[in-house]
Amino acid sequence: MTTSFLSFGPNDLAAAMPEIVLAATGCLLVLLDAFAPSARRWLATLSLLAVAAATWLLVAAPRGTSFAGRYETSDLTVAAGLFAAATAAIAILVAKPYFQRTGGEKGEFYALLLWGHLGVSLMTRGLDLLVVFIGLETLSLSFYVLAAFFRGIQASSEAGLKYFLTGAFASAFTLYGIALLFGKAGSVRIAALARPELATDPLVSFALLLLIVGFGFKMSLAPFHAWAPDVYQGMPTPAVAYLSVAPKGASLLVLYRVLTAVFQAGMPGRFQTALVVLAILSMSLGNVVALAQRDIKRLLAYSGIAHMGYVTIALAVFGREALAAVIVYFFTYVVSNGGAFAAVSALYRDETKPHPVGLLAGEGRRTPFPSAVLALCLFSLAGIPATAGFIGKFFVFKAAIEQGLYALAIIGVVNSLVSIGYYLKIVYVLYMREPLDQERPPTLAPADRLALGLCAAGILALGVFPAGLWDLARRAAASLPFGR
Amino acid sequence: MRALFDGHLLTVLVFLPSAAAALLLLFPERRAREAKGFALAASVLELGLSLPLWTRFDLVSGTFQFVEKAEWIPALGISYTIGIDGISLLLVLLTTLLTPVSLLYSLTHVEKGVRAFSISFLVLETGVVGTLVALDLALFYVFWEVMLVPMYFIIGIWGGARRIYAAMKFFLFTMAGSLLMFLAILYLAVRNRAVTGEWSFLLSDLVSLTYPTMAIQTVLFAAFALAFAIKVPVFPLHTWLPDAHTEAPTAGSIILAGILLKLGVYGYLRFAMPLFPDAAIRYAPWLGVLGVIGVIYGAFVAYAQKDMKRLVAYSSVSHLGLVVIGIGAFTSAAMTGSVLQMINHGLSTGALFLLVGVLYERSHTREIADYGGIAGVVPVTTALFLVATFSSIGLPGLNGFVGEFLILLGTWTSNHRWWAVAAATGVIFSAIYMLSLVQRVFWNPLTREENRRLPEIRVSELVAAGVLVVLMVWIGVRPNDFLDRLRPSIEEVRRSVATRKVAAERPSRALRIRSGTGGVRRERSLRKARDSSPLRGSQ
Repeated sequence: MTTSFLSFGPNDLAAAMPEIVLAATGCLLVLLDAFAPSARRWLATLSLLAVAAATWLLVAAPRGTSFAGRYETSDLTVAAGLFAAATAAIAILVAKPYFQRTGGEKGEFYALLLWGHLGVSLMTRGLDLLVVFIGLETLSLSFYVLAAFFRGIQASSEAGLKYFLTGAFASAFTLYGIALLFGKAGSVRIAALARPELATDPLVSFALLLLIVGFGFKMSLAPFHAWAPDVYQGMPTPAVAYLSVAPKGASLLVLYRVLTAVFQAGMPGRFQTALVVLAILSMSLGNVVALAQRDIKRLLAYSGIAHMGYVTIALAVFGREALAAVIVYFFTYVVSNGGAFAAVSALYRDETKPHPVGLLAGEGRRTPFPSAVLALCLFSLAGIPATAGFIGKFFVFKAAIEQGLYALAIIGVVNSLVSIGYYLKIVYVLYMREPLDQERPPTLAPADRLALGLCAAGILALGVFPAGLWDLARRAAASLPFGR
Repeated sequence: MRALFDGHLLTVLVFLPSAAAALLLLFPERRAREAKGFALAASVLELGLSLPLWTRFDLVSGTFQFVEKAEWIPALGISYTIGIDGISLLLVLLTTLLTPVSLLYSLTHVEKGVRAFSISFLVLETGVVGTLVALDLALFYVFWEVMLVPMYFIIGIWGGARRIYAAMKFFLFTMAGSLLMFLAILYLAVRNRAVTGEWSFLLSDLVSLTYPTMAIQTVLFAAFALAFAIKVPVFPLHTWLPDAHTEAPTAGSIILAGILLKLGVYGYLRFAMPLFPDAAIRYAPWLGVLGVIGVIYGAFVAYAQKDMKRLVAYSSVSHLGLVVIGIGAFTSAAMTGSVLQMINHGLSTGALFLLVGVLYERSHTREIADYGGIAGVVPVTTALFLVATFSSIGLPGLNGFVGEFLILLGTWTSNHRWWAVAAATGVIFSAIYMLSLVQRVFWNPLTREENRRLPEIRVSELVAAGVLVVLMVWIGVRPNDFLDRLRPSIEEVRRSVATRKVAAERPSRALRIRSGTGGVRRERSLRKARDSSPLRGSQ
């Protein structure tokens, strides 16, 4: 190794510009908030601009690796960057009206969101397990704070503490796994794992299992899911819109990268079995427990656990086509799940209280637009055709059938059927129950309207014209090093 | 403009209602009357545009006509391929007819959420027409599921007292069947790729697939058949139907009974039989037996009902049982009769639900016991109800007779003569429960005073029911106008099944496919040989 980790040139800095922009804007936001209170109303706009600039820099950057092969710019990282940026944009758009309703808008919120976004970016671009880990921790620390954002509310403090304790525990698993891999491969680079003898090494298998636990925690994959409902409940809804999508996609991408590097000749049966078990557990547990939920944020948390089960099917299938399916899935998941949380943020007006589903009674007539978008998002999450969610499931199940994982596919669709039970329950409350009070609801903020409109348009556009997304995903998956 | 319609008539028919629904979103919520009028106008325009299908339909060819093809997801060979044969022609026309009829009826009856109600119906029409014209399995599945959502809202928002339960049951039952069909479709495409090296979801490509084992074909057939059997519904999967039909608003019941049920049989004819001919033939007797049970069970339960709407709902179970027997008998006459009987059932049951709705709107009860002796009070309603009843029980001169006669004749000449006997008893039972309904509602002494002031049918309702009556007479008097359009297509379906059966009687070929490229090449040449297969369409 001729170059040490700290020596880098202008090309390397150019490649890291997206992250530099995010980090710098985050610092600027905190400073502005503290020293120029009159600039507060521009914080959201500034953060949106920062996300847009970072994404543009990422898309425009020349493809290749930098920092001596530790940092990647490829179709894959661009796809991941676009998906994460879409999530961030939804979160920032709904954040402003959210804080106008609840009070307590602070520069920290946007700064932490940007730093979290920076962490996601590092995770998706790192070709070195330490870079990935730094990204993971940047993300986690930002969101530990965001979970406890409403210091005065007990549920929020509880969410912060729970997320921090369990998250630190999960990070230890990840780090231990990385250490073991380092011990075996002699390097923390993912490329160094691509040695045939490592694929059969029991210690490497153990290390990979540790990584699955660590990143499975971030994905809220059962049985590492227990934090999600509590944290979603206490965290500001716009932050949940981000946390429930982008970090999960980044974590799955990291797992995909590491596993493809180690298992170049195909995934061993016992590993596939383990992932299949995790997928089935996550789908079934998520869907069945979601049936019993009364609080919409908890319900969506369990629905998210189930959805991570569906994407884990694609991880178990393995290979480039399945990775493309994962990418499609996450793009469809941004608009449906992000849209659902955006709608929840717009529909619930009192943040200090829990979010029971029953409070939405008759909202379909009182506030037609956000209710219609929420219903559309729920149909999409349920996988009804002509919505984005169907396309995501279509490719995942296609991958499973191609691999001959018929039983898994059948369990998957049975789970879809179960999930319809609770998604329709919300639609029923929205449209088929009488409103609780007759007073006129406040008008919807333009930013909310924009975010919801974009999500609805995205759900229908991806659901009806998915060909472009599939091509993008296939190109992205083709740029994954190693693998078939 | 003309060129656009000539080349893309079916596309226009599929998406015109959705486009109208999108425009309706722009109407202010308060403009209820205008929204209703606009939706009705759109559906009448749709009906008008669908008439050229009837006049320009080629009577000789049994293959697909008005075919259109465009890429949709090229990487997976998923295409927007649509076309119609005689079977889908009649069902499309039934759809474009019953939608304006339901909307016309609803002009005076729906009060809350009028705009959403109209949008639901128009989106539903897109789903139904799309399902009927799709020749690509992925496209078919999309339309098939899209139908569920508006129907869920129609039952759940504008339905009766137990509407939530009924809507949920309807959605879950239908979804349960179709999700397994979804996996089976994926399997077919994946297998087609393994054999030919090309992705395709086209029906015309997938019909030439062979299966490694009979067991696999049976499982795939079961997945398709289950989805369609739930929709029909075949006994014992019928339990969602009485709830959904009874709780749905009148217009919803008309569409549900008139069209949606037919899609189960349609899907079976169009997809399950040609794709899995061996399994379809092997299990046809089971289908026939379930049909027989449905005919008799439905009739008995209908007779026991105290609620008029529930009675008509159970009569659907019985009538659709007859249709299923005709399909299971697999003779030309029986199958033609079955498809015609679907149209007949759409007309007669549509009219019956409509007239029950007319009575209900005036007296707010559907209990048979609350009526009696109103023939003198509402003579026009009575007359219409009588015609619909006669049509339903198969009186010669009306449409029901033609369909039932063909089914009975075709079943009698098949290997399952005793089905015809059982089916004939079902026809007799239907006369018993329907005539006793007429007796108890319209004749008998007038016991309730308030029924003396029952208002007569309105003009809009009269027009809606009148159109259906005219068609009942037309089919009854000139059945060949309809049968001529059906026969070639029915023959094509039968031939595709028969052809395939011979080809698949040599199971060793299927095994050879898996052993290297030689098998694949042989498979390709076989495919080429069978490219003249009827389902390839006239593209």
